Order: sequence, then C-alpha cells, then structure tokens
Amino acid sequence: MSMTRRQVLASGAAAIAGSMARPATAAKEPILIGYLPALTGPSSSTGVGINRGIQLAVQEINAAGGIDGRQIELITRDTQSDPTKAVNGAAELTRGQKVSVVFGPVNSGESLAVVPLLARTNTPQVHPCWVDSLTDPKKYPMCFRNAPTNQQIGGAANGYVVDVLKHKKVAVISDTTGYGTASVNAYVPMLKAKGADVVYQGNVDAANPDLKPELLRMRSAGAEAIMPWSVNAGFLSRIINTRGQMEWDVPIVGQTTLGSGQTQALLEKPDYWAKVYPNNFRPVCYAADGKLTDRTSAFLDRLKSARIEMSDTLLWWIAVGYDSPRMIAEAMKAVGTEAEQIVGYLNKLKEFPGVYGDISFAPDQHNGYPDQEVVMVEANSLKDGAFKLAPGYGA
Amino acid sequence: MDTQATPEATELRAVRTTGQGTPGALGAVLPFLVLLAVGVAFPLFGGGYWGVIATRACVYWVLVSGLNLVVGFAGQIAIGWVALLTLGAYATSVLAAGNVMPALPPYLALVCAALVGAVFGLIVGLPALRLRTFYFAITTLGFATIVTQVALAWQSVTGGGIGVPGPVFPEPFASQWGFYYFCLGLAAVCTWMTANIAASRFGRALTAIRDAEVAAEASGIAKPALLAIVFLFSGAVAAVAGGLFAALQSYITPDAFTFDLSVLFFIAILIGGRSSVLGPLLGTILLTVLPEFAAPLVAWSTFLYAALLLVIVLAIPGGIAELLDFRNRRPLESGRAIVPQPRLVARLLDAAPATGALTLDQLGLSFGGVRAIDGLDLEIRPGQVHGLIGPNGSGKTTTLNVISGYYAPQRGAVRLEGAALPPLARHLRAHMRIARTFQTPRIVGSASVLQNVMIGGTIHGHGTFVESLLSLPRHWRDEAMLRETAMLALAAVGLERLAPVRADRLQHAELRFIEIARALMLRPAFLLLDEPAAGLSAEEIVRLSTLLLAIARAGVGVLLVEHHPDLIFDICHHVTVLNLGRKLAAGTPAEIRSHREVVNAYLGG
Amino acid sequence: MIESIILSGTAMGCIYALIAVTYNVMFSASRVFSFTAGTLGMLGGVLGALFIARMGMPVALGFIVVLAGGAALGLVTEIVAVRPVLKSLDQHLYVLSTLALALMVQQFTAIEWSTEPQPFPRLFGLARVDFDQQFWLPMLACAVVIVGLELLYRHTLIGHAFLAIAEDNYAARALGLPERGLRMTSYALAGVIGALAGFAGGEMMLAFFANAPLLTFYGFVPVSLGGMGNNRGAVVAGLLLGLFQQTANFLVGGIFASVAVFAVFIIVLLARPDGLVGAAQQRRV
Repeated sequence: MSMTRRQVLASGAAAIAGSMARPATAAKEPILIGYLPALTGPSSSTGVGINRGIQLAVQEINAAGGIDGRQIELITRDTQSDPTKAVNGAAELTRGQKVSVVFGPVNSGESLAVVPLLARTNTPQVHPCWVDSLTDPKKYPMCFRNAPTNQQIGGAANGYVVDVLKHKKVAVISDTTGYGTASVNAYVPMLKAKGADVVYQGNVDAANPDLKPELLRMRSAGAEAIMPWSVNAGFLSRIINTRGQMEWDVPIVGQTTLGSGQTQALLEKPDYWAKVYPNNFRPVCYAADGKLTDRTSAFLDRLKSARIEMSDTLLWWIAVGYDSPRMIAEAMKAVGTEAEQIVGYLNKLKEFPGVYGDISFAPDQHNGYPDQEVVMVEANSLKDGAFKLAPGYGA
Repeated sequence: MDTQATPEATELRAVRTTGQGTPGALGAVLPFLVLLAVGVAFPLFGGGYWGVIATRACVYWVLVSGLNLVVGFAGQIAIGWVALLTLGAYATSVLAAGNVMPALPPYLALVCAALVGAVFGLIVGLPALRLRTFYFAITTLGFATIVTQVALAWQSVTGGGIGVPGPVFPEPFASQWGFYYFCLGLAAVCTWMTANIAASRFGRALTAIRDAEVAAEASGIAKPALLAIVFLFSGAVAAVAGGLFAALQSYITPDAFTFDLSVLFFIAILIGGRSSVLGPLLGTILLTVLPEFAAPLVAWSTFLYAALLLVIVLAIPGGIAELLDFRNRRPLESGRAIVPQPRLVARLLDAAPATGALTLDQLGLSFGGVRAIDGLDLEIRPGQVHGLIGPNGSGKTTTLNVISGYYAPQRGAVRLEGAALPPLARHLRAHMRIARTFQTPRIVGSASVLQNVMIGGTIHGHGTFVESLLSLPRHWRDEAMLRETAMLALAAVGLERLAPVRADRLQHAELRFIEIARALMLRPAFLLLDEPAAGLSAEEIVRLSTLLLAIARAGVGVLLVEHHPDLIFDICHHVTVLNLGRKLAAGTPAEIRSHREVVNAYLGG
Repeated sequence: MIESIILSGTAMGCIYALIAVTYNVMFSASRVFSFTAGTLGMLGGVLGALFIARMGMPVALGFIVVLAGGAALGLVTEIVAVRPVLKSLDQHLYVLSTLALALMVQQFTAIEWSTEPQPFPRLFGLARVDFDQQFWLPMLACAVVIVGLELLYRHTLIGHAFLAIAEDNYAARALGLPERGLRMTSYALAGVIGALAGFAGGEMMLAFFANAPLLTFYGFVPVSLGGMGNNRGAVVAGLLLGLFQQTANFLVGGIFASVAVFAVFIIVLLARPDGLVGAAQQRRV
C-alpha cells in the first residue's frame, strides 16, 4: 500500500509528536518501507516503470498475509528527478518516518546524494542505479544494488560496437545529469582500452530542442556509431529523429531507454527505430528460439491479468520493481526488521530468483546482478513487452 | 550639553524628550528576540523533518539578509542572485573535498568561499552602476545561467553533472540539531549585522539612492563606492549561505540551483517590504515553510510566490513591513503649523561662513540650438540672499543645476572663492558646503522625517561600513551626533513634532521644509533653493521668509530661485532677472521693481 | 556545416528579432519593458502544439487561435501589470509586476502542459528538405512583421498615432489622442507578434515552457544592442545574435555557446549602456 504525500505529512505530524521515545514495535504494526522514485520530471521513465512493478508486488505480498502477519506499508516520496528533493525525501523517510529499509532512488544523480545520507542514518538501502561509485561495501556497508553497474552495461554495449559491429570510430553523447556525465566518463576510457577511437564526446542539455549541431559534428569527425547515455525519452528520440532527418546510416547503440515505449511514441517515423540497439537483460528477452523463459512468461501473464500497461515503458523496469520488495520481504521474513540483521542476510544472499535476474551479494560485493545477463537487443523487435537479441549477438 | 536654564536650552530639552523620531529600542528588537527564542527552542517541539525545513530557512535567510541590502534598501533588481549561492556552495565543497588543492578544514573553506563570493558579488553587481534597471535585471539572470553552465562544463573541479559532496562540519555541528544551531547562529549574526547597517547612515544612504537619487548626490553620497561595499558584503554572505546549503544537501549538483530559488529569494524581500529587516525575515520563513504544508503546494510553489508578488506590488507595495507598521497608522494632528525657530538656526549653523563669494563667470550652456544660459554673471555673497527670477524657460533652474553640477557649462565657469568648481562632480558639492533643495521635493517616502533629515548629514559620519556592521563605538557616536543635529535642524525649521512620522504622510509644504532641514545638516556655506515657496500658503511663505533670513544672518550665502515676487522683494539683498538665458537686469529689489524692461517682460503692471 | 549554421542562425535570429520587436512595441506604448515578451513567444509554441497536435484543429484555425491567445496575454499584461504601476512614482514596480505575471504564466504552463519539451506539429505536410519549413517559417514571419509594421506606421492613421505616443506622450495626449486605448491596442499587437514568433519557431524550438526565460533573455539582447524602441536595429542585432550563437553551437557546443553569447552581451552593454545606437538624454532634475 502506498500513501500520498499528504497522508505522509499527516502521519508525520503525529509521529513528530511522539517521536522522542519510540514505543516497542507491536506485533501487528505495519512494516514501513521507504520508496524514492522519480515519478515526474525529465528522468521519470525509469521510475514510472518500476512503480508499476513495485505496487503489484507489495499488493501480492500483503494479500498473502504480509510478513509474519504484518502488512507492508510503502511510503513514497516523489523525487521529481531532482537530487535536492531526493535528499529532502530521504531525510524525511529516515528521520521523520523512521522506515526500516529504503528502496531507491532509481536515478543515479539522485542516489549520489542520498547514499551518503542514508549511510549516516544507518538505514539499509537497495537501489537499481547504475553509476559505479554508488556501492562501496567499506564506505556504505548497508547499501546494495540489485541492478547492473555501469561497468557491466558499458562492457556489453562497447563490446557490441567494437567487437560485433566492428566499428572503431565512436561518438559518445549524454545529457547533463549525474548519470549521463558519469556514464560518459566511465565509457570513454573503456572504449579507448578496447582500441576504439572516440571521435566525439559530449554532454548536452536534455531539453535542447536542436541536436543537429551535435550530430553534424559527429558526422564530420567520422563517427561510425552513436552511443547515447540518458534516461530522457525526449532527448533520445530527438537523437534518433535527427539521425533519420539527416539520412545518416549509422547504428545507435546505448541506453536501455532507447527501446522504451515512451521513446517510440516520440519518433517522427516508425522506420527511424531501425538500427537502434539498446541494452536489456537476457531473462526478459526472446531467446534465439523466439521463446521467453517460463518465469518471464508467467510474469507477463500476471501483468496482463492485473491490467498493467507495458506499451509505454520497458518490461525489465517493471520486473526490477517487482523483484525488489520481494527480495526485501524475504530478508525480513528470515531475520526480522532490524537493520543489522537485514544487512547480514543480504550479505549472504545467493541467487535470489528475480524475474529479470538472479541477485547475489557477498560481504565485499554489493553489486548483485550477474555479468553475463546484460545483452543488447534490437529496438524495433518489440513485441508484448520483450525484445529479440541484436543481430550478430553471440550467446 | 547645555545645562543652564537659557530659553534655548529649555527648548532643546523639550525637543529631546518629545517624539524622538526613532522607534523605542525594545519595540524594535522584540520581534527578533521572539523569533530567536522560537528558533532556539525549536528542537523541543519540532521533529527531524521540520528541523530540515527550519535549517533550510536559516540558510536562505543568511543569503536573503545580504541580498536585502541590495534589493530592499538599494533598490537594485538583482534577480539572479542564486549565482552566488552556487559559487559559494561549489567553492566550499571543492575546497573542503580537496579536488583542486589539499583539503581545507570546512570552516576555512567557508571563509574562502566568502571571499570568492565577495569578489563575484562585486562583479555581478557593478553593472548596476552603468545600466538601467531592466537591463541590470536581465544581466543578473544571464550570470545565473552562466555560473550553472560553468559548473556543468568544468568537470575536473566541479564534477560536472555528477556534482560533488558537500562539506561536513565537525562535531558539535555534524549532527542534525548541531548543524541547525550552527545555521541559526549564523542567521542571527546576519540579522544583527544587517539591522545595524539598516539603522546606520549607510542604510539611509542606500534608501536615498533608491528613492531620491538626486537628493542623495546633493548630500554628497557617492553611489559607486557605497554600492560596491554592499555588493561585496552581500556576495560574501550569499557564498556562506551556499556553503551551508551544500552541507545541508550533503551533495550538490548544478541542477539544485534553480531559477526558482532565485525567485524565492527575490520575492521574499519584496513581500517583506523594502527598507526593513524584519519584513524580509518573515517573508523568507513564510516562503520556505509554506509549500511544506500540502503536497500540491510544492509543485505550485513558484506560481504562488509570483502571484503573491503581483498582489504585493499592486496592493501593498510596502509588503509585510507596511502591515506591521502600527506606529504610522496613528492619525496625525490636523491643523499643523510649521513654526521655524530662528534662534535654533543660529545654533545649528555654527560653522564659519565662507571667506569669498560663489560667482558665475560668463556662464554659457546650450542644448542643441537653444541657448539655455547665455553669458551670465552672478555673485552670491555669504550672509546675503540673492534672488533669481524670470519667466518660465528663462534658465533659472538650469543655472541652479549648473552650479550644483548636473550640467557642465560650455563657456565660463562657476567659482567658489575664486577657484573654479569641477563641472560635473555633483556629489562633491556637499563636501564644498554647497547645499540645495529641489523643485519637486525629493524625499524617501518610506523613511521617517528624522531619517530623511539625517541623510543630509551622511558625509559627516566618521565610522566605516564595517564599524556600523559590527556596531562598534564610532558608529554609535556618529548616530548620536546625526540624530542630535537632525533634531536641531527639524526644530529650527519648525517640524520637530513630526520627527517619527513616515515622510510620505506629510503635506507638500512640510516636505519643502524638510528639504531645507536636510540641506542645513551640511552646515552649508551656500544654500541653493529651487522655488521653495511653490505650493505654500501665504502664512507659510511668511514663515519661510523668517527662516531664510535667519539662515542668511548666520552667514550662509543663499541663492533663491523663485516665482513669488513678494518673497523675493521682502528678503533678497540682490536680485538678478533672467530672460531667455540672459541677464535682463540686476540690482536691489527696489531697483528691480521699477525697472521698465523687467516690468514689461515679467512683473506686469 | 556552413549551410546548417546559416540556416539555423538566420532562423533563430529572426525569432529573437521578433521577440525584440515585441519588447519594442510594448516599450513604445508605455516606456516600460515587460518580462512577458519571452513568455508570449513560449506560448506561441505551446498553444500551437496544444491546439493543432493535441486537439486536432486544422493548422489555419489553430494559427488564428494562437494569435488571439497572444493578443489576450498582451492585453492582460497591460491591464494587470502595467497600467496600475504607470501612475506610481516608483517606476521600477513595472519590472516586478511584469516579472510576476510572466512567472505565473510560465509555471502554470509547466505544470499543466509539461515540464519536458513536447513535439510541435509539422505545419505543412511537405517532405524534409535542406531549406526546410522550420527555417523559412521564422524568416517569413519576421519579414511579414517588419513590412507590416512599416506600412502601419507610415500609412495608417493608427500607426501615426502609435508613433505620436511613442515620440512625445504629453503632446499626443494634449492633441486628444486616446492614450489608454492606443496603449491597449499596442500591447495586443505586441502579443500577436510574440505569439507569431513562437508559432513560426515552434518546429525549431519545440513546445517547451522553459523557452520563456530563454526568449526573455535572447529576445532582449537585440533590444539593448539595437537601441530601445528601434525596430530596425533590433532586427539587425537579432540576426547577428542568431548567427553568432549558432556558429558557437556548431563549433564548440551548447554550453560554451551560451557563455560566449552572454560574455559578448555584457561587454558590449557595459561599453555602450544605451546600446550601439544610443538613446536620448532625459532631464532628471
């Protein structure tokens, strides 16, 4: 169950009044899980998708009796894609609401600010953000990532461009968010280490309506592939549209949002979506034989019967949103809601069976997603929420 | 102080005990003390979340208190001040994190950020001296954009889109409430400092620049120097606020410094009311806290601020401060009379008269093809009243403006005791003891009568800006001296009972006498009056004559530009008649009254 | 590359020039600069996308409705933000009142329309070419406005009346010209011009609420450089600004381009505060 902000503040006011001496947890009191999605703003694609999954999962858990008879209460604070509001939200969740665990933020730029803050308040945190520095078992012992890192993502994307498509001259472009900037900074050295020539590297304001100057500079520098890193559907769609208007035949290989329904809706022509290869995750993609795994098919059926919309987002976002509270709930079922206990449990987690991937942690490894499951797909092969693997992509 | 029971002494004592013209000391300080008490006690009743909001309000107030001097007092429309918050935040964070040089302790980083902020406050603010209002507002917006772009581009230092972690202050300021008290303390210090400036000659000079710039110049106030100091201070304080902001956020990225923040700061001051410290303080608290009461309000907060601003501008331009100004709601007594006291004039003008005359030597000035002044000779002798009359457009006011330095003569010169006056240095005239009044009274409407008169004596203060900032002894001596002199001047012109009243409530005649009182603060050697009798009743003109004669008897050389022939012929020792820029006639009143050409051109049958 | 720079530079320059003309028309009527000029440009794009793309109106009808919307905002500016403060002694209140109104409109648009740039419909269903409609639409609009204003000022009675009010307010009133009515008409006209700028530039700038502060700034640069109230100077300065900005954009990228534009602007302004053309001295005392 989620609460609106107004209810949050109202209950917060009550909590303030009695917050000095917190009473011992009664048996049937709800378990508070804090949730920091970006539901509005320029980087809200991910948050909107994840939100659908997380709401479904929490409903299911509570309908099945909750955790030892206690219902889960999801306390939501929309960060509005703004790191400042994310910090405010995190402060309220930990100091005001005193939640047991925080899931999120879902965007790296916001997490960069929130992770140190949650560490200071000793709150366990699970987040699906990609920027490498967002986990550090020594500095942030209570912070876990149940999604891939930029290294894993970049490895797959760069490998596809250089090794599979055999292009050496690459243009890397991102927006000016923390995620975009960190991605470019991470990927350019990785590309150079593979022997590629980064002929263009730029951070562009996502709201810039005219990307033609940038693409012209890429073309005159001789780029053979464009690699965009942004979660902003408008920005990505403009790159795709400009490439089409220029009739420039180069592949676009990059961020998963390139394949989202939101991006598709903003394309000028459907055929512009050809030769666009976003990254995605093997468990939620069609295998070489055109079939999905059983777990994924069952999940799709569940989404259909719950009438959850998929066409304007990405399946794996919904999936990671679905998997996360189930993982947290499993930890709480096993060891209770005390922070140290939860952290101890997660540190020993082996292959938690998530829809979009099996998550494993260790005391010195808080990045839970397996390397080999990161793949590149073909954007315009989208069918029923899932994609086919990109051409030439090995096993 | 005179303790003998002379008539003057009795009068003066009576003057001092009634209506001092400044708010009771306790009354002014009480609201601040209440707010401080609430702030100190806050952790007892506010929870962690409201603690964050309260800390944020303190941080914002640190910036707004300085910006208040720029926008509220000096009237400069600096909309993009978030640029300095950004600079301060990044400077503190980068220095404390050690990106560029070895890491500094956070307090030292904060001080360095303040220095950076001071310099950039000056850079952002100085165009105000050259540009018109709207242009300056636009340039500050441009600066705010530039700083954000630089923060995005300069990745090696600022981390670009990734940002940098904010500084962490050591114990006892590391915990939430510890840091809150740190910010509260700094906010209190800033309140104290800016309130000191507001109640000093610098604060009054700023309001004079804002509302009555020509009068400020005539009183000797140098706008560039004063604005420069204010921009330095405001920039430094804004940068400190930036460092605190970065610590509060614990992590800063360029997109945290939005245009919405600039709007918040700017509107808080205008909602609070100009020339006030309490008003903007309440405004800042209001605007910080208001969106937190309901979720929908957060999204609409900037819209609400703008709507509030529109309402304030249209309905209550004086803002919260005007609403709280209970003293000025009391009705004024009707049937007030202005009764100058000539004996006090002599007491006030105790400086030595000039040794020589103020002369115009073949003065010539043309505007395009029109000869406004054409070869004019004039001599204003100390201790005498020299009348200057003539039809409209004859060049009377233009002559006065040349003497006071608004226009440079194209031919001839204005000489003081033989030496030519620098042509366009209007703010130096006060230092040469040349004072003037204006055709339309130039008054700071929102200030009290006493404050308006005290503006006249600004250049006689000795204390520096910093001494006023820190409430050091010389500041108090200056204030006491200026207040005493101003009360004396008001008593001399006959308006001492109106000292504490807000000037825009006064009648036109009273405003004219206030201008004279302000001019007398300079203890001038020469006093130039531009149609002081316009709009006065017959009774008031008689009182004015008494006053002007007393001033002349004290040794001042008076130039009286006038249209009222009775006043001229009654009190002038010499009269010059201008027509079409040329001297038509000159001599004693009796000679002029019967001069045929003058009668034809001007006086009539 | 060069063709792209010239095409987009001229097109953006025409948009900036039209916003500058909007400022000037308002200024001529009231001696007041209004912050709503940039907002009018933004609304031209947003309303165009709203009526034509989202609500499905035919292009011609949508165009007229958008211009009407611009006129309406122009009138609202005059009535709410300018007329009440013209009487006040503190002339600088107009900066605040127009700023407040502009902010309210911008924020309302951001919340109700979108905080993200939305696509602007393609007005003529032609294929994309090099000299595409997104470039010649603003140029055409600029030419029409310039020619139209010249005809208005030179050959119509109301145009002469506008010039009279701008030249010498007191004399015009003494002659019996209805000052208030003329001012309202001027503001409505300015609203139409601003909305036209945004509509014609919609394909280039998209329908985005943040175009308002952008146009407020970049539309003001030609005014300050070309001289207050001087439309010809504004057009020339606007074109130069557009070309300079796009050259910088193409050569060094967006961030440095805006720094460059701003730096040049402030340096020129500090050197010549009355603009490159200069304005009349006014008697202050």
